[in-house]
Amino acid sequence: MSGSIEVRDLSRTFHTTVRRPGFAGALRSLVNPQKVAKHAVSDVTFSVAPGELLALLGPNGAGKSTTIKMLTGILTPTAGEARVAGVVPYEERERNARNIGAVFGQRTQLWWDLPVRESFAILRDVYEVPKAEHAARLKEFDDLLDLSSFWDTRVRHLSLGQRVRCDLAAALLHDPQVVFLDEPTIGMDVVVKEQVREFLRHQVEERGRTVLLTTHDMTEVERLAERVVLINHGRLMLDGTLDEIRRKFGSTWQVRATLADAHTDAVPLPGIALLRQDGPRVVFGPDGPEAPTVHQALRAIIERYDVTDIAMDEADLEDVMRTAYVQAVGDA
Amino acid sequence: MNAVRIVWRITRLNFRAQLEYRSEFLMMIAIGAVWQVSVIVFATVLLTRFTGMGGWDSSDVLLIPATRMLAHGLFVLFLGRVHGLGRHIQEGRIDVYLLRPMPVYRQVQLEFFPTNAIGDLTVAAGLMWGALARSDLDWTAGRIGYLIAAVLGGMLLEAALFTVVACASLRFPAADYWGRWLEELLGTFGSYPLNVLPRAVGGLLTYGLPLAFVAYFPAAVLTGHDTSVPHWLAAASPLLGLVGYLGARLLWRWSLKHYAGVNG
Repeated sequence: MSGSIEVRDLSRTFHTTVRRPGFAGALRSLVNPQKVAKHAVSDVTFSVAPGELLALLGPNGAGKSTTIKMLTGILTPTAGEARVAGVVPYEERERNARNIGAVFGQRTQLWWDLPVRESFAILRDVYEVPKAEHAARLKEFDDLLDLSSFWDTRVRHLSLGQRVRCDLAAALLHDPQVVFLDEPTIGMDVVVKEQVREFLRHQVEERGRTVLLTTHDMTEVERLAERVVLINHGRLMLDGTLDEIRRKFGSTWQVRATLADAHTDAVPLPGIALLRQDGPRVVFGPDGPEAPTVHQALRAIIERYDVTDIAMDEADLEDVMRTAYVQAVGDA
Repeated sequence: MNAVRIVWRITRLNFRAQLEYRSEFLMMIAIGAVWQVSVIVFATVLLTRFTGMGGWDSSDVLLIPATRMLAHGLFVLFLGRVHGLGRHIQEGRIDVYLLRPMPVYRQVQLEFFPTNAIGDLTVAAGLMWGALARSDLDWTAGRIGYLIAAVLGGMLLEAALFTVVACASLRFPAADYWGRWLEELLGTFGSYPLNVLPRAVGGLLTYGLPLAFVAYFPAAVLTGHDTSVPHWLAAASPLLGLVGYLGARLLWRWSLKHYAGVNG
């Protein structure tokens, strides 16, 4: 399907040599190397619809970058299959490259010694973009990313934020249907991060591009993604909307209440645990899988107790994902 | 035609970028020339102290380093970025090349303009001019054509050898060290008539690392000297360069297909 990403049972195994401990072990490994198979990605299945932004999440070493490398045609999978905008990326690398744009936050695809605008012009020729179309798109990207103030500077002299903004523009100049972003805002200051997020939102909502994003920045996920795929140890742990993930891992709310009568001994309520009590100050939290939402809990507490003050803390996405990662590690 | 235009455009821009750092630019040219100092010393000693070497006249011997250096200079200019590819691999540049709809090998060559090639080629052209001026041969169109083919064949053979090392680097980036060794070997033994070396070494540099086909055999064919291989094989040196290069490119394609990346 045009602009979609389809991944089925995708696997990638690397074979490495394990060095035995100690000097003697190192010598033994030299003579008799011990090979081990490292399953970087195992039987991962998911899809991204045209015009959707999906966040591919997981802790470091989970297999996110390897997955993206297979989808961009850099690596060939050991098993399984993938189609990006209808093309098998590792079989038709150059054809796939015309359909996709990619930004790897820590690497640039621009020519290091050339002014950025020259790199853009080269890419225009490489992707055979008509001049008028190229100029119009460049203007649009300049309006959104404020590129013209530094696009005559050589890439090697740009700051990280400037460089990644240029990389984003370079990745989209040929109007790709699908965009892969591997930690695009890593190391950026908050202002530039917000500018980049705004740009990405525009690309998805206004231009209908399909985006697969990996990031460790949960604010970014919250602002941009509706759906999340979580992988760990190369395996898919979860595929769902942010709401589903919150429901599954995010019931870590707390309600802090101050009771009118300091001598009241608070007791747990159905699905609500009493976490601690210090005089009139009481903290409640969820109890078990059937725990109510924070708003339901709030209502139940007010109905049961006479309170003079009440506040709630709902776990933010970072807390939710931390819980999800920990649980994923436990399950693995 | 679009591919040619892109190559020309990138080369032009890369060259212009090098020109902007004037002292760096001039220094790189000087480095290219100074790098060949051992060949210049060799040629000077050969012409001033000896009448010949291994049954070859000095003027005939001079044709060997001149051919090799010219081939080497052209290799550095057109195909030399394949040397030292391990660093590109470790920096993840290959991953970036694989994202563009353009052959990776071509992108490697277009990474930067090799300013030092200007120094290499200047020295090489001077040496070739000296060799031709001192030569007693009748430089017919056929001989000139063969010399040009030999230089191009030598360039392709050197590119083939470094491409094979680059293929190994795709799997083991440390294979880059073999490239340095190869460069050292070409510089050390490439200027001599190989019949002055022990038979085993000469054999190794003919059938193991086909260094003899870069300049020694073509020079022997031009000057009418016997070598350790049949005349037809020595004469086919330029063709072997082409075949070797095409074979190395096939190996490159296969290696790239099996590229496993760096850092997962």
